[in-house]
Amino acid sequence: MTAVADLDEARALLREFPVVDGHNDLPWALRKQAGYDLDALDIAGDRHEHLHTDIPRLREGGVGAQYWSVYVPCEQPDPVAATLEQIDCVRRLLTRYAADLAPALTAAGMEAARRDGRIASLMGAEGGHSIANSLGTLRGLHALGVRYMTLTHNSNVDWADSATDEPSTGGLSAFGREVVAEMNRLGMLVDLSHVAATTMRDALDATSAPVIFSHSSARAVCDHPRNIPDDVLERLPANGGVAMVTFVPKFVLQAAVEWTAAADENMRAHGLHHLDTSPEAMKIHRAFEERTPRPVATVSTVADHLDHMREAAGIDHLGIGGDYDGTAFTPDGLNDVSGYPNLLAELLDRGWSRTDLAKLTWQNAVRVLGAAEDVARDLQATRAPSLATIEALDG
Amino acid sequence: MADLQDHIPPTTEVGEDDGLRDGSPPVPAPFDRGYEPPGELLERAHTLLAAHPVADGYSGLPWALGNLPWYDLELGEAAVDTDLPRMRQGHVGALFWSLHLPDKAQDGRTTAATLEQLDTARTVIENHQEGLRLVRTSGQVVDSHNCGRVAVVLGPAHAAALDDSLGILRILHALGLRVLTLAGTTWAGLSGLSRFGEEVVREMNRLGVLADLSGASPATAERTLVLSRTPVLCTRSAARDLRPHPANLPDDLLAALGAAKGLCMVPLTAEQTGPTVPDVADHLDHVRDVAGPECVGLSGTYDSGAVHPRELTDASRYPHLIAELLRRGWSETELSLLTWGNVQRVLRSADFMARAAQQRREASTARITDLDAP
Repeated sequence: MTAVADLDEARALLREFPVVDGHNDLPWALRKQAGYDLDALDIAGDRHEHLHTDIPRLREGGVGAQYWSVYVPCEQPDPVAATLEQIDCVRRLLTRYAADLAPALTAAGMEAARRDGRIASLMGAEGGHSIANSLGTLRGLHALGVRYMTLTHNSNVDWADSATDEPSTGGLSAFGREVVAEMNRLGMLVDLSHVAATTMRDALDATSAPVIFSHSSARAVCDHPRNIPDDVLERLPANGGVAMVTFVPKFVLQAAVEWTAAADENMRAHGLHHLDTSPEAMKIHRAFEERTPRPVATVSTVADHLDHMREAAGIDHLGIGGDYDGTAFTPDGLNDVSGYPNLLAELLDRGWSRTDLAKLTWQNAVRVLGAAEDVARDLQATRAPSLATIEALDG
Repeated sequence: MADLQDHIPPTTEVGEDDGLRDGSPPVPAPFDRGYEPPGELLERAHTLLAAHPVADGYSGLPWALGNLPWYDLELGEAAVDTDLPRMRQGHVGALFWSLHLPDKAQDGRTTAATLEQLDTARTVIENHQEGLRLVRTSGQVVDSHNCGRVAVVLGPAHAAALDDSLGILRILHALGLRVLTLAGTTWAGLSGLSRFGEEVVREMNRLGVLADLSGASPATAERTLVLSRTPVLCTRSAARDLRPHPANLPDDLLAALGAAKGLCMVPLTAEQTGPTVPDVADHLDHVRDVAGPECVGLSGTYDSGAVHPRELTDASRYPHLIAELLRRGWSETELSLLTWGNVQRVLRSADFMARAAQQRREASTARITDLDAP
């Protein structure tokens, strides 16, 4: 059990260096639960019965910057259109909750929000399917404020392999490398969560800017394809990138990995998609849980990952990406966005210094966006927008 | 004393036609069709356009350039009808850039294709910062003109680009879109605006996106004229009475457009207006007479694949058209409204309406599945 003194110190630390969280699926939750009706699910108040995220709990958790995910599923019939609707949702949130959420497009914007005491709000697209093989669309997303794109979600795209699909391209195709180059030129961070290890390595070879993992943990601690292998973590110092640890129990706890495999099988047996979080689906899920108790991850499970990632990548290459509202279950002590102080208290208990924690929560994530901006400025001086097409490059 | 006169002359709103003739009287001599205007008229046309440049209602340039491997609009580009030297010669001060997708093969990915069109437009403008400026409001149009740049207003785009979503309308507006053509979707089809279609028009008013009714069904056009709280555009419509093209407007619609202070922008195309300058002038005369001088505008329709009248083959030829109108007795006030003033009024009205509406209304979350359920 963590000492109260540690928790107080964690809170004090977060007031100075708040959390930059790499991934939060609130927009998709608002779409699913409320049809984007922001009156129906007003996050100005306590919404813990419906959401992991609301403004009081973001404040309690010491969140100072949030990448809002403009995720749409791979199976979405028109993924570009749905992604635009997600962006519209974030823009409306920023207008509506302007006293608490500050639009941020740059590292300087993040710092300005911190000085204001507001939560810097950025956007990340989760999956290359959101650009429909079109660099013009990629530039459109950047113009709308999207500052990272995860190269794939759970399924492969035509130009990159996902961690959770059958290998097809074997990493990045020629067009995939062009996508990475264009993202470098724009100053959009290349996010390697969700992608296959082959894609991670190809992207690290191709990129001229630091990369991020918006929500991924260590494969050496828990063997799940969504996590980062050590050889990739070890390349982060040279690249300058940041791996943001995620809390999702089915990725971080070995027992939960196996339990989830059985639970997914149960969902499919009921004719449902295994990621379905609708009330009916959750009912079936809960029934399964009663028969087979769910292994519970804790703050300590996540801290184990951070300890290992620190060994492999170094303290300058760590961050946090909770994946709140994008996952059905969360670890004990990290139940929602108010839980970050518990993680910091655990790390203090393990002997992490205040300087280490400032890097983990704030400084590394801000540095990486600033570095991407610097690279973009240089590239834009010499390179025009790419007009390449997937037909031309990948045949 | 001059300031104590008994009769204060009635004043009109700035830019409105006061009915007074200004400038020299019209030249009565009858010209043959296709005749070059005499130097004196052409000179007056240039003078007039220098003060009141052309705000051109439709240009297909982004799409045309998208098909070229290399281009430089600043040096002059023979592969298209529009480049900076010719726009300067023709006194073009503002240009609506169409985001229409000529290729029906885009079906199913209209939204992505529209984003690509917007991207092309932004890239072209960025590459020609000495000549072009992307603008969003009427104030920026004036500002851009004062800086010697051609103001580029983005639109019209196809209604299909919305993919039946008001969120996407807001996103396209955030990327600069100012005009949307209300045709070709289930909610703006032959039977007029559906309930969702009406919500789209209300949200367009709230954002300041102008409705374009060229090519809209009569039912859609009538309903939009009633519903819209700010004047609408017809970006490519001439007089049906003179030429029976489906996009041309019948007199009753022209009159209704005039009553709503909307704008009929007459295209310079052989198909819709006829093969000569006097043919185009006939349409302009007719629209002015039926809809009113405050409701007529110009639409070059260059680089859209259309065939143009013999003397109006590119963006440099506007003075020839204005000279013909001078010959026909158009007053300088009427001409200044035709080329510049009317577009400014419509944009300004939409800007004002949007500012006011955004104080009162939040973004609409209406969905087509709820409003248009069978």
